[in-house]
Amino acid sequence: MKIPLSWLREFVDVPGTAEQIAATMSVRGFAVEGIEPLGEDDACIDFEVTGNRPDCLSVAGIAREVATAYGLQVRRPVVGGSSLALTSLKSVEHGDIDIAIDNQDLCPRYAGAVADVTVGPSPDWMQARLQAAGVRPISNIVDITNYVLLELGQPMHAFDLTRLGGGEIRVRTARPGETLRTLDGQMRSLKPEMLVIADAERAVAVAGVMGGADSEVTADTSTIVLESAYFAPLSVRRTSKALGLKTEASVRFERGTDPRLPVTAMERACALLELTRAGAARGTVVDRYPLRREPVVLRLRRERVAGLLGVSVPDADIRRILESLGFALRDADTPSTSLGAGGWDVTVPTRRVDVLREVDLIEEVARHYGFDRIPVTFPALTTAPPPMDPRITQARTLRSIMTGAGFSEAMTFGFVAESAAMPFAPSDDLVPIANPLSETFAVLRPSILPGLVGAVAHNRRREQRDVRLFEIGARFSRSRGERRALACAWTGSVGGHHWGGGTRDVDHFDMQGVVERLYQALRIGAQLEPCREPWLVPGRAAAVVSDGTRLGSLGQLAPSLVEQHGVSASDAIFVAELDLDSLPLVDSDLQVEPLPRHPSVTRDISILVADTLAAATVRRTIRDHAPEILVRVSEFDRYQGKGVPDGQISLSLRLTFRASDRTLTDGEVQAAVDAVLAGLKTQHSAVQR
Amino acid sequence: MSDSPDNLESLRKAFYDGLAAVQTEAALKALQDTFLSRKSGRLTEQMKTLGSLPPEARREFGSRVNTLKAEIETAIEERRRALSESRPPEGAVDVTLPGRVAPIGHVHPLMRVRQQVEDIFSRMGYEILEGPEVEDDYHNFEALNMPPDHPARDMQDTLYLAAPIVGRTWGAHRAPVAGHVPEAQVRAATLLRTHTSAMQIRYMKTFPPPVRIIVPGRVYRRDNLDLTHTPMFQQFEGLVVGEGITMADLKGTFEAMLTALFGQVKVRLRPSFFPYTEPSAEVDISCHSCGGSGCSVCKQTGWLEILGSGMVHPALFEAVGYDPEKVTGFAFGLGLERIAMLKYGVDNIRLFYENDVRFLEQFPAS
Repeated sequence: MKIPLSWLREFVDVPGTAEQIAATMSVRGFAVEGIEPLGEDDACIDFEVTGNRPDCLSVAGIAREVATAYGLQVRRPVVGGSSLALTSLKSVEHGDIDIAIDNQDLCPRYAGAVADVTVGPSPDWMQARLQAAGVRPISNIVDITNYVLLELGQPMHAFDLTRLGGGEIRVRTARPGETLRTLDGQMRSLKPEMLVIADAERAVAVAGVMGGADSEVTADTSTIVLESAYFAPLSVRRTSKALGLKTEASVRFERGTDPRLPVTAMERACALLELTRAGAARGTVVDRYPLRREPVVLRLRRERVAGLLGVSVPDADIRRILESLGFALRDADTPSTSLGAGGWDVTVPTRRVDVLREVDLIEEVARHYGFDRIPVTFPALTTAPPPMDPRITQARTLRSIMTGAGFSEAMTFGFVAESAAMPFAPSDDLVPIANPLSETFAVLRPSILPGLVGAVAHNRRREQRDVRLFEIGARFSRSRGERRALACAWTGSVGGHHWGGGTRDVDHFDMQGVVERLYQALRIGAQLEPCREPWLVPGRAAAVVSDGTRLGSLGQLAPSLVEQHGVSASDAIFVAELDLDSLPLVDSDLQVEPLPRHPSVTRDISILVADTLAAATVRRTIRDHAPEILVRVSEFDRYQGKGVPDGQISLSLRLTFRASDRTLTDGEVQAAVDAVLAGLKTQHSAVQR
Repeated sequence: MSDSPDNLESLRKAFYDGLAAVQTEAALKALQDTFLSRKSGRLTEQMKTLGSLPPEARREFGSRVNTLKAEIETAIEERRRALSESRPPEGAVDVTLPGRVAPIGHVHPLMRVRQQVEDIFSRMGYEILEGPEVEDDYHNFEALNMPPDHPARDMQDTLYLAAPIVGRTWGAHRAPVAGHVPEAQVRAATLLRTHTSAMQIRYMKTFPPPVRIIVPGRVYRRDNLDLTHTPMFQQFEGLVVGEGITMADLKGTFEAMLTALFGQVKVRLRPSFFPYTEPSAEVDISCHSCGGSGCSVCKQTGWLEILGSGMVHPALFEAVGYDPEKVTGFAFGLGLERIAMLKYGVDNIRLFYENDVRFLEQFPAS
């Protein structure tokens, strides 16, 4: 709301510069977006008016706030006043025009007055003020309606009376198929729920939004009807939204104007007609006010003010602030237990659509008493704090493992292009956004990987060859909903480059190692199994499985996807993604085992087996055939080539044996190794080397 | 002839000049040979001149030459010992070469700020929890005092889902409370949450007062990417409800949090408007860049807007079944990007979501 200081000073004798006034008002709820100098001794202050304060979308409204902030009196327009003069109009039922309201709930009040005018330009001072406030001057009549809108906050409209069929005004909803050319020249299709102003035959204005072109005031107009009405906020809001038409009038009506203001505004407009020699009202106003709005009375309890603000505001301050803002206070003498230390019955001015309950009054008091006068205290702890959410603890643990493994944390958007999402979920499982900003953000991500690989590609394009990134966040699908996941991507070399040499590019088992490190750190028992995923290179993809539940997968990203992100298809990017909602959260029954008291014995075996035999299968066979003194099996060599028949591999394993209650004898260990070798022979035709 | 004392003196000086330049044992040996070699040492040469001197001078000159010889021998021995002590031991390495650094990853700056905020509130006894990113209209708007057609909905341009989905679970680690309907699971989310405030409703509907929670998380708006806007960003929601909670408690809490984040700054509350709080306040801190005198960071105002807050609107308590006559509370929401931008001097919000490792590496590992 842009307000010239000189205009503001017609209402209140506020001292100081525009900057000083701006500083004062910004801590009273009216932030100032800017100050522009107007000539030598004037300035325009641009106040930010929050959506709950339509009463301050006017010079008079801001003046009331300024007066309260400075402890000053505010001047009101009166009949016979000087710069804020009103022209007294006689209120009549039937006058120069007939007015009928069909939809009283949508239009509780409608005032109309007829005036004889000579259309021309408005005076320079009026044009200057309108322009400073951001409104384009059009003609004296239109300018006066806009001037009153800015000054008092009451939107007005002027019709050319001779162009109203039947010389009457009817406020009704639009008829099916009814159209109207609005002042901006657009032909509008009206819907039956839209409120219109009509003459005897057709709609002449969209109520509270915009007038019609056919009844517009032109240079030839000699008689006008001025409209000053109250329209129901929701109706105007819906109509304005449906038509995609937002005006100075609709903004005020949809937030709520003052139902008591229309006639005062009309009297002000008529005074301005005379003042600017644009014409004169015929002296009467037809004021239809079928649904009279009475002011709300609220109980304000003294205890409640202190209880909410944490400071005891003196009664005198409460009274001074509220009365200055136009509230009327009466000591509440009704003895009641709820009243406690007493209080007031407060009558709320009808313009204050935001004040609906006691707490709204307390805000008024706090605003002008000053937030800076509220002391500093801390909320008392009255109960034991609840336990930490284990999901947050888990995420922190994962984050420190990943950074320890050399991965930096990335954050990417929760939505991706459909083409990027496609390989990661069947298309009927994707969650599209109904009103996306662009194709780039069209579906919720079914996986973190497309975004993460995009970040890897971003780095690759900026000369970063070695990139390790991870992200912890939500992913979405129709079948499983929103779930938390951890994803990581790795490309480039394994270690940093070093003068001593010895670096190499990342391979499958590096990535697998990262995943194994994660579940080892979390003490989760998990196995890796071969799997197929559309986004992974076939034969280089592993599923992570724990207790029959699939936790995720890892492998080399398919070259076609690498290329899709603008990276050379020959560059290997290894990726992994784990579902965090499937991981066990708490180590509830963690119990330590006693440390071994007897020494262990190791034996190495080397066997020839088919090269298609999975290491996990060999390990399982060994465990199945060994007595329980076998505590550990680990592969230490895998060889294929000279000395090993085609289609076979030489696999070397180290077996560790230990008993908890005795030192093992050679015989016991040998018997165990023999049993293992026998088992391997029967199960896999394994030959010992 | 070299029988003058000056000759011996200049020889002495020449030796010490040579000694000062000696850095290796080999150079020391060469120096020793130059002066003391039995065949051609410069001192040996002096000794050879002895015979040509008159007898009365011989004795005195010989004594002086011998003294100098002893002095040089001692000096050479001392230097030899010093050089041998400073010699690197067997197998020594050049420690000024770089070591093999196992690559270290870096925590994202927004997460770094988030963890700092979490830690500040953890110390004040707050519960930290995450809520679903997809929500329904009731929790995101309606229960927050924004019924359909409420103008405030325009301020948060919402992204809607083409098909409803189930949101993530939260609070499953907490035992259910009698008399409260668990609203843990979002059964049919229709939109991406526009703020973390939706969790205020879910939490209060599930647990009775007192409440003292912090909800960090990602939120979504239909905003185009520019220097200060992203369609997804991250917020922190705070909610404290109990008997006797006042706006002074809100003020104290912010002063504690903001000085923990930014050091010694002044905190200012300005009246504002949010549908779900009453009174509502914007919270400013004095500009940490200029100290409040006005600069480009604070657009010459001396203040930086940092978060929105207020006392919980009684309509929310009514919606969740709390008695607004018994309990009061405060709520606040702050943007992580805003804090990180101010704290680290980042002028382009997109840097947080491009994940350029040269940006990420500028932050400590944790």
